[in-house]
Amino acid sequence: MSLLEVRNLTKSFGGVRAVDDFSFGAEQGEIVGIIGPNGAGKTTAFNLITGVYPLDRGSILLEGKELAGKEQFEITRSGIGRTFQNIRLFKGLSVLENVMTAADPYSPYGLFSLFTLGAAFRRREREVRAAAMEYLALVGLEKYADEKPSNLPYGLQRKLEIARALATGPKVLLLDEPAAGLNPSEVREFIGLVGELRERFGFAVLVIEHRMEVIMTLCSRIYVLNFGKLLASGTPAEIRANHEVTEAYIGKEDASCSV
Amino acid sequence: MDYFVSTVIFTGIALIGVLGVYLITGLTGLFSLGQAAFMAIGGYVSAVLIRNYNVPVVPAVALAIVAAMLAALLVGLPTVRLRRDYISLVTLGFGEAIVALLNNSANITGGAMGISGIPQLTTLPVVLVSVVVCLALVILYKNSKYGRQCLALRSDELAAKSMGIDVYRLKLITFLFAGALTGYSGVLFGFYTTYLEPAAFNWIISAEWTIIVFVGGVNSLTGTVLATILLTWLPEFLRFASEWRVAIYCVIVLLIVNYRTAGIMGERELSPKTLRRLLGRTKEAPR
Ligand SMILES: Nc1ncnc2c1ncn2[C@@H]1O[C@H](COP(=O)(O)OP(=O)(O)OP(=O)(O)O)[C@@H](O)[C@H]1O
Ligand SMILES: [Mg+2]
Repeated sequence: MSLLEVRNLTKSFGGVRAVDDFSFGAEQGEIVGIIGPNGAGKTTAFNLITGVYPLDRGSILLEGKELAGKEQFEITRSGIGRTFQNIRLFKGLSVLENVMTAADPYSPYGLFSLFTLGAAFRRREREVRAAAMEYLALVGLEKYADEKPSNLPYGLQRKLEIARALATGPKVLLLDEPAAGLNPSEVREFIGLVGELRERFGFAVLVIEHRMEVIMTLCSRIYVLNFGKLLASGTPAEIRANHEVTEAYIGKEDASCSV
Repeated sequence: MDYFVSTVIFTGIALIGVLGVYLITGLTGLFSLGQAAFMAIGGYVSAVLIRNYNVPVVPAVALAIVAAMLAALLVGLPTVRLRRDYISLVTLGFGEAIVALLNNSANITGGAMGISGIPQLTTLPVVLVSVVVCLALVILYKNSKYGRQCLALRSDELAAKSMGIDVYRLKLITFLFAGALTGYSGVLFGFYTTYLEPAAFNWIISAEWTIIVFVGGVNSLTGTVLATILLTWLPEFLRFASEWRVAIYCVIVLLIVNYRTAGIMGERELSPKTLRRLLGRTKEAPR
């Protein structure tokens, strides 16, 4: 049994088939890439897995248990963590609090313990703070703990999104274009970071990326989406040799050049 | 001196009510335009229990708070899943419905004539202790998992859900806590004025409280406290007639909206850390 098994994922918006009968999976410790031209339905696939939209059809099994139809917060708590393509950090909170917030749903203390300054509350608050600090240190942000996220440069905000996702305790981590906007040396550093995190936590990673360096270095399996449909899947070598894939991409390059 | 004491008492009572709005609007980003109705529920329930049924004070107060929380549950359950603008409408409707209900059940509430002869139990020490306790509870709430998650959902509800936050439950808990605080402020109010009438609790009060939170700086508790003192005290202090109150609100709101869009305090709080920064470092480090 795969850790994550997605079958026949389908979703239309009005007349647009954003995701069309897409099946894929990921094993424990595996890094899986999802690529495809703009508008191919990659982000929508993530939004379906995390319960942002209901599915039209299909099923999502995590360790054999169905996630489709559950609430977003339940899906996260059962072990799907994510980052967002267009960064969505919590503006009113500090960098550290952003990460703490993602661990807070697992805090068992109640209002009574809080209002009586009970031991359960004080202990858990210390634990969450320490854990969040550790996640920040993992991505190299510990010295920005008290900053507001909006004061961080773009690349660091992306790292904060990852630290926050780690705090949800994922079995599968979904990264949506995590290297967008990074410069070449930051991209290389990022590739190292994802490898380290995988080693440390043993989770599966699904990564959407346009930067081929990231996909080709990290992923053991790649799925190519085009107009919502699976165009090809295979190892990096197989994908590189696939003519249809190159065409889909060259077609897109042409389109963007002619604008 | 009496006049001073009574102003302090009214300010304290208002502050406890505003704390409820702070939780809902400042912390969670929702609007409750019927919040004053919880004050009415607290005041009327405690008054009726004591006057008509000879219930001792402490259980009467406890029951009044429970009644306010039940009402909050009643409004909260169906509304927390609605869009934010609908929540404002539903709470507005609820508040006006409560006022209408009080007006129309004259045999228990005295209707539009109001209810009088409530014992005067609210004294300056009672109000001061109440303010300190309520403020402490709200500070704790803000600096716990509850407050962090509220601020997170206010800033980005979708991302909050994706971090495992059960936003509906959290909104409901916040509604209940706010209802309890505002209900308690109603208890204190009735026990001070010894007289309650439905018209004192219409939506205008709720709107004023919402304005106070905005003037203070949406998620700053310090700002909320300062703005409450400023806006309830200033008109009294300058001995303006009450019709000037609304005009003063408008002027202050316009000034804030134009010159200080984040409110008096913005997101800042008065804490040992900010105090040290204010006193120690005169020049802000550039960033
Ligand atoms: N909420 C929505 N409502 C309507 N249409 C949507 C919605 N979300 C996505 N779409 C449409 O679905 C299609 C797939 O969009 P999606 O964002 O999944 O693409 P993508 O592969 O992530 O592209 P990119 O590489 O640009 O991020 C697009 O045509 C898009 O306009
Ligand atoms: Mg996308």
